[in-house]
Amino acid sequence: MMDPRYQRPLARIPLVTALLLGLLATWGCRKDKPEEPLQATAGPVGEHGVYITNEGNFQWGNASVSFYDKVTQTATEDLYGPANGGPIGDVCQSMVLHGGKGYVVVNNSGKVVVVDPGTFVEQAVITGFQSPRYFLPVGDDKAYVSDYYAGKVAVVDLIGNAITGHIPCPGTTQEMVLHGGKAYVVNETRGEVHVIDVGTDAVTDTIVVNKGANSIVQDAHGKLWVACSGGGGTAPAIKRIDTQAAAVEASFSYANSANNPWRLRINGTGDTLYFLKGGVFRMAINDPAAPTSAFIPADGRNLYGLGVDPSDGNIYLADALDYTQRGVIYRYGPDGSLQGTFHAGINPSGFCFK
Amino acid sequence: MRGRVHLLWGALLLAGGPVLCQDIQDSLQLDAVTISASRGVLFDAGVKVQAVDSATLDRYIGRDLGELLRDASPVFVKSYGLGSLATTSFRGGGASHTAVLWNGFNLGSAMNGQLDLSLVPVGLAQEVTLQYGGAAALWGSGAVGGAVLLGSRPAFGKGLTADAGASMGSFGDNRQQAGAGYSNDKWSVAVQGYRADARNDFPCRRQRNGEEEERRQTNAAMAMNGMLASVGHRINGRQRLDVNVWWNDAERQVPPTLVQDESTDHQHDRALRTTAQWQRVGDKATGQVRAAWFNEELWWYGEGTDSAAYSRLNTVIAEGEMRFRKGERHLFGIGLHGTMAAAATDGYPAGRHQDRAALFASYRFRTTDRRFIASASARQEMADGSRAPFTWSVGSEYQLLPWLSAKANASRLFRLPTLNDLYWTPGGDPRLRPESGYGGELGLATGRDFRRGWNMQAELTGYRRKMDNWIIWLPAGSYWSPQNLMEVWSRGMEFRGEVARQWDRVSITLGAMTNYAVSTNERAKTAGDASVGKQLIYVPMYSGAATLEVAWRNFAIGGGMHYTGYRYTSTDNRQFLPPYTLLDAHASWRFHAGHKCLLSLAAEGFNLLDEQYQAMLNRPMPMRHFQVGLRMHFNQPLHGNNP
Repeated sequence: MMDPRYQRPLARIPLVTALLLGLLATWGCRKDKPEEPLQATAGPVGEHGVYITNEGNFQWGNASVSFYDKVTQTATEDLYGPANGGPIGDVCQSMVLHGGKGYVVVNNSGKVVVVDPGTFVEQAVITGFQSPRYFLPVGDDKAYVSDYYAGKVAVVDLIGNAITGHIPCPGTTQEMVLHGGKAYVVNETRGEVHVIDVGTDAVTDTIVVNKGANSIVQDAHGKLWVACSGGGGTAPAIKRIDTQAAAVEASFSYANSANNPWRLRINGTGDTLYFLKGGVFRMAINDPAAPTSAFIPADGRNLYGLGVDPSDGNIYLADALDYTQRGVIYRYGPDGSLQGTFHAGINPSGFCFK
Repeated sequence: MRGRVHLLWGALLLAGGPVLCQDIQDSLQLDAVTISASRGVLFDAGVKVQAVDSATLDRYIGRDLGELLRDASPVFVKSYGLGSLATTSFRGGGASHTAVLWNGFNLGSAMNGQLDLSLVPVGLAQEVTLQYGGAAALWGSGAVGGAVLLGSRPAFGKGLTADAGASMGSFGDNRQQAGAGYSNDKWSVAVQGYRADARNDFPCRRQRNGEEEERRQTNAAMAMNGMLASVGHRINGRQRLDVNVWWNDAERQVPPTLVQDESTDHQHDRALRTTAQWQRVGDKATGQVRAAWFNEELWWYGEGTDSAAYSRLNTVIAEGEMRFRKGERHLFGIGLHGTMAAAATDGYPAGRHQDRAALFASYRFRTTDRRFIASASARQEMADGSRAPFTWSVGSEYQLLPWLSAKANASRLFRLPTLNDLYWTPGGDPRLRPESGYGGELGLATGRDFRRGWNMQAELTGYRRKMDNWIIWLPAGSYWSPQNLMEVWSRGMEFRGEVARQWDRVSITLGAMTNYAVSTNERAKTAGDASVGKQLIYVPMYSGAATLEVAWRNFAIGGGMHYTGYRYTSTDNRQFLPPYTLLDAHASWRFHAGHKCLLSLAAEGFNLLDEQYQAMLNRPMPMRHFQVGLRMHFNQPLHGNNP
């Protein structure tokens, strides 16, 4: 026999209430379907613009390449994905235009992707790297690729799109610059600049700078400038190198802090340096001292990339926000006036001007 | 008739499903040996509790805890691949917001606050209970989203018992397990060994140059060995001593992501965990002294490095607890807890340690007719000499009708920064504050027996929780550093229900579960942060499951359909992984070979819809695959509830 209490008509009330509550909850629910990400614009990208390499997150495979068209003033968030039907890879580090092709270095995928700069359709993939960072053309058909953890620089044949040799550079190699038939490669952990003869692919000299050397540019007088974040008993510093003497001829040091110099860039006329140190710092190549305050303050932004357009001196500044959402690119005029913003992918760090 | 119905009802309660009203004794009479119940069961009135039923546990015995929770609970398991790293998101929390306790001891690493569920075999526990919502007042730091309690249940007076099993599955999956035990009225000794290896080279597809390319997963093999030994001793009618030793050793390759061509990474995990417990159960007072020592080691072999990155963690936990009963209605508990964790790793090679002490007290009131239960708990924890937030919980359950209960619970929650958060060089910040917040839930639970063997149970729960000072790692200059940046508001609604029909030889059970979990960041981490008000990454807003089990004589078949909704992979919710539905099915047949030996043959199919899915971005998961297994039980009654 059933318990008579079960048969009380009152017993139904809470059940009905529960059902009603459930329905109410359903009406109050949020939608989880995301808005669709921006699609690629039809056809090839414009003639005047800038490619932005977005690193994405390490091991997430969400790297991308964005494009900002300077004429139409519009941004395309991802070029590679829609053009090739899949993500470009893991940690997209940098991009260089050379010989009518785009060379995109994808760090944690250990590859350099060769693309059509207009359509961004993949043409070839150069593989065999360990953790490639930067691409430096040293001849029409030859390039160097710095390979961070490999302790060597790879020599790449651009006709066969293959690695043909290696130049040992123990430590961790970063940015490179070509000057007078020689490639200058910064070595971050060792705080050195290796001088490589591009004819013989041999290290001919090594210039000692400070530890944490990360970026290098060439000025209008043929001098080289290196940004060092310091460490290992050395100070954060900007160094000027005389290539004739293969030695440091001027040093501008900073006290060690949470923000040390990196992403050293120079304008098209080669007379003004820019680098990140929290905010953007600006320094003329003839300045007697390093700047002590920011030209463009960070203002709570997590500045992660810096580019200076060689054609007009405009400054492109990448804010990575929380490093897990699409970054914001700020455009400034050479005088530091804000001209506009647009969105790129996750963790934008590299700029390649077209 | 009514008595029989109630017996069945009781059996169903024990077997799992929503617990209508906590009608659990302070001490359970099991095999004439009195053991005292866990404080997690006694002092959490108003909290949703789910005991995984023993038939399900039996089926998952050769598999890992991540697979069990994925299929049998609303916990979203963040799986990096078959046999790879698996962590949790429970009620919108992060991986370090779920406490996994083995015999009452937290298995979460003091280094990162997490546990890799792939390294915990289900066979470790005879009881798996999920305690939903925050229980920091009972279990301390980290029990924010919920707690998973793994319990051992030693047997006495059974004589010689033995069991062994072996299975084979797709992608070179081989598992074996064997155990033997002996028990009389005074002693219970059991030893179990297990091993597993798999290639896990399942086919996976990826997009390349506009075309779909199929390849086999590489560098995904695993090999795991382990042993579990337990000794139980009844000192006298009131005192018990239990010792458990669990050794686990796993060698795993780390497969490449879909955008990597290859990986050579691999890792070796080794853990030795020992727990001991003495207890005395009296008429008025019950006492427990418990201690554990966990020794964990990890060797990580990254790409291009010859030597391993090595980390080592030693944890010693000691606890004393007393409970006093005053009449039928009042129960008091008081206890002292200490954890000492010492670790060394690449980030702090010289070693770091964290010492924690806690004082906790609880009270429960229950009316004589047991229709009303209320409990309150409080806990003050000290970490390295400084005070963690004072935590408390209050809750109650009221039986409105014989088949309907209402529940309510509120609690203060916290999570301490881990050793890595505090001391990792570079980046770690010893000034980090604990995460802290408040949580609460309301629930309605119903269970009803109808005429002719019908039974229905359902539970509807709504919850909300706010956590402040939520720790995230962000780059600060040239390295990453943890910061107390986020404020996370989680709220949601859960439904679990089951309808069963029992005939003489056939039973059919239909189950359903739906979960709605919104967990949003409420504070801008940086100027222009687009994540404010957006769902946390890797927290599905919607998920659900439907299951069907049919048992006929010695045969049982069943299946489950599991839906996981959109999960965002960027904090601005623009990037996401699409929803997926997984269909699993299983069939088993049990037969006697001699009157003391029982054999069971089982076959299972997974992802039968051949869904191509990812739980984590660009980490492929296997499509349709199968497993068959044979198990033998000697002199050991199955705890499954199949006929």
